[in-house]
Amino acid sequence: MKEATVQHDHGAIATRSATVVATGVGKVFGSGANKVQALDDVSFEVPQGSFVSILGPSGCGKSTLLRLIAGLQPISSGEIQVNDHTPDEMRKAREFGIVFQQPILFDWRTVEQNVALPLQLIGTPKEERKRRVSENIELVGLSDFRKHRPWQLSGGMQQRVAIARALAFGPRFLMMDEPFGALDMMTRERMQTELLRIWASRPGTTIVFITHSISEAVLLSDRIVVMSARPGRVMRVIDVDIERPRTDEARKDERFLEIEAEIRDLIFSQEHA
Amino acid sequence: MTEPGYNRTREALITAAIVVGVLALWYLAAGILAAGDDPLANSKLPYPHVIVERFFDDFSEVTSAAWTSLSTALIGFAIGTAVGIVLSVIMVQAAWIESAVMPYLLAAQMVPMIALVPISQTVFKNDTATRLFIAAFITFFSVTVAVVRGLKAAPPPARELMRSYNAGRLRTLRYLDLPAAMPMLFSGLRVAAPLSLVGSVLVDLMGGSQGLGYLMLAAQTFGPAQATLVWVAMFVLLALGFLLAQAVVMAEKVLAPWQPAMRQGGGH
Ligand SMILES: Nc1ncnc2c1ncn2[C@@H]1O[C@H](COP(=O)(O)OP(=O)(O)OP(=O)(O)O)[C@@H](O)[C@H]1O
Ligand SMILES: [Mg+2]
Repeated sequence: MKEATVQHDHGAIATRSATVVATGVGKVFGSGANKVQALDDVSFEVPQGSFVSILGPSGCGKSTLLRLIAGLQPISSGEIQVNDHTPDEMRKAREFGIVFQQPILFDWRTVEQNVALPLQLIGTPKEERKRRVSENIELVGLSDFRKHRPWQLSGGMQQRVAIARALAFGPRFLMMDEPFGALDMMTRERMQTELLRIWASRPGTTIVFITHSISEAVLLSDRIVVMSARPGRVMRVIDVDIERPRTDEARKDERFLEIEAEIRDLIFSQEHA
Repeated sequence: MTEPGYNRTREALITAAIVVGVLALWYLAAGILAAGDDPLANSKLPYPHVIVERFFDDFSEVTSAAWTSLSTALIGFAIGTAVGIVLSVIMVQAAWIESAVMPYLLAAQMVPMIALVPISQTVFKNDTATRLFIAAFITFFSVTVAVVRGLKAAPPPARELMRSYNAGRLRTLRYLDLPAAMPMLFSGLRVAAPLSLVGSVLVDLMGGSQGLGYLMLAAQTFGPAQATLVWVAMFVLLALGFLLAQAVVMAEKVLAPWQPAMRQGGGH
């Protein structure tokens, strides 16, 4: 397992080296009359160890973009490089911990066993596996539910299991597709600060986070890639220069409100263009 | 939490009421028949207690016949299940394999057992082998058709998750597809278990010289006085079939307790 050694550098992210580089990425589904241009000429960079959000309306190709970066689907045009490798190579090297839009937990496994799944697949020794599983279940606050089955948990708890599972094998990249999308606002805000805490405990981990919530993106991210609706294009890449560690207080920060307003205007101008 | 217990009591009461009702009707019918002037009334529809008495009178004969039927059915059932699972796994590896094999499978299922038994008797020249084959054959179909469907039950996102861990075919099969196929496997097994018994008994009825089917046939040829034995054999067969089906249900509760249909206990 790669133990990250790079410390979080919460300074200016423009100075950090890029780890994910998307250049002119396009994705087309189907052909003929059913042809859908999901992504068109998408370019952006994710600096090493940073938190980058992809923000856009429903159906603009966010999940598709995540699948392309994670090497789960082939790219139609353009190029994505992750640490100078193709996404597929990185996937095969098990560099990505993915939290999908749905929790995707296995009903025949307990919480503990679900979190252990990637470790089993990798062949982590039993003792090490046990340690990592309980550590990560504790991290997402589900220690009391380790023996429960997924269907005995609430939606938010299920999503936390999925997060623990993604963290468990210590991937250098965390890809999260609207992980809090199904949660009520209170739980959602708690999970956001929780995620920042977890991330802070994993120095060197790069997070690509998908959301359609502007405030969520501003609170969490070092950089926000704002996308437009079909076909998904990059409208603007915004660096968020709000000091870390950020807590709920950051929501009232002047810069926070400014950036929020900037993105709102951007999306609004698009709708009326 | 009191609900399941309450339901179970009610179910037991209903079952008991049905048994009592059927017995009462039976006594009534047998009584009416005996009151008439048919000298064969007693062999056509004997009283239930006569059947029970007969069971104990011929206990060793009946149990040895039952053992022949049950043991061959069980072994055939096991073989059919194993072959069915293996074939299903092979079939889902590629769409072309499935589309090549499935039509034959469905066609073979149409072969009437009545025709298949004499053919396999000539092939095997051995009653036990024929019983095993027929029991396995019947099981095999239910299991294969169910498991092929079950192996495709895992949702695409789950498959994508496995891919993100770079899990190959074998691991995806072991960690995702086989567990996901368990409910379908058991639904196939529930159907197959009693049928495997019927398959074994069918061989007795068509020239075998042992088993519950043979007992029925032999009793009939020895005249009306032996008719009660036919009833005994039939009830033993019924009871064994019921027990087999129950055994499958119990195995399912142990091996796949996580299914939605089995969750009503809550807890873990
Ligand atoms: N496998 C597929 N086959 C065909 N079309 C697809 C496929 N996956 C996605 N699409 C299309 O690509 C477009 C983008 O889909 P995607 O799921 O990436 O959107 P999204 O931004 O994640 O939306 P949401 O916020 O609702 O999750 C949609 O128009 C969708 O119909
Ligand atoms: Mg999506």
